[in-house]
Amino acid sequence: MIKILKKNFSIDEYYEKIKSNENGAISFFLGTVRQDLFDNETNKIESIFLECYRDLAIKQLEQIRKEALKTWKLNNCLIIHREGSINIGEKIVLVMTSSSHREDSIRSNEFIIDRLKVEAAFWKFKILKNQSKIIEQKEKDIEKSLKWSDIVNEE
Amino acid sequence: MKIKIKYFSWIRIKLNKSEEFLNIDDKTNFEELKKILISNNNLFSEIFKDNSIKIFINFKEIENHQINLSNGDELAILPPVTGG
Repeated sequence: MIKILKKNFSIDEYYEKIKSNENGAISFFLGTVRQDLFDNETNKIESIFLECYRDLAIKQLEQIRKEALKTWKLNNCLIIHREGSINIGEKIVLVMTSSSHREDSIRSNEFIIDRLKVEAAFWKFKILKNQSKIIEQKEKDIEKSLKWSDIVNEE
Repeated sequence: MKIKIKYFSWIRIKLNKSEEFLNIDDKTNFEELKKILISNNNLFSEIFKDNSIKIFINFKEIENHQINLSNGDELAILPPVTGG
C-alpha cells in the first residue's frame, strides 16, 4: 500500500492492515518534524511545508516498494507519506515492513526510507511566520541511497 | 500542439508559477523546447545548465534531450528532492 496524505494519520490504522499470523517481525520507521533552526540565528522553525508532485511520487514509491519486495522476503510493505503543512512533532512518513524473520523487515525498511529520501518527488521547506526556506538535499543521504545499489534487485 | 510543464521547489518560486501550458509546433523536440523557454525567460538558461535538475516527460526521466514531444505531454522540471 502506498498513500500520500494531506492530514495526520494514526499508526494503529496501518498496523491493523499489516498484522498477520504469517509475521514474525514488523519494522516501523516513522519520520517526524524536528524543531530545527530556521536560520543561523536562534530562530526556530514553526512547521514545515512538503511540496509534492503527487502522480510521479506515487509511481516512484510503488517502484521502491516493488524493489523491496523483490529483494527481501516480505509479507507486506506500506509507505505512507504526508504532503502540505506539517507541525513540529507531527508524522511525515511511515514505512512498515513485515516478514517471517526480522532481517528482511529491518533491512528492507532501511532501504525504503534511504531510497525515498533522494528519489521520490517531495520538497521540504522550513517555515517561520510568513517566511519559508528550502531544505537542501544532503550528500550523506545520496550516499546512503547508493549503498543499496549492489544489494537491491533494481529494474 | 499543446504541452504542459510543471515546476517545483525553487524553480516554481523563481518563476512564480507551478505550471504552464505552451503551444508549440508539431515535431518540436525537447532540445528545441529548451531554446523556446530560454528565449521566454533567461532563468531557464541557469536551470538547464544545472546538472542536479532532472527532466521528466509523462512521469519518466529523460536523458536524451533530442526526444520528440507529443501533443498532451506533461513535462516536469525537478530540482533535487528532499522527502522522508
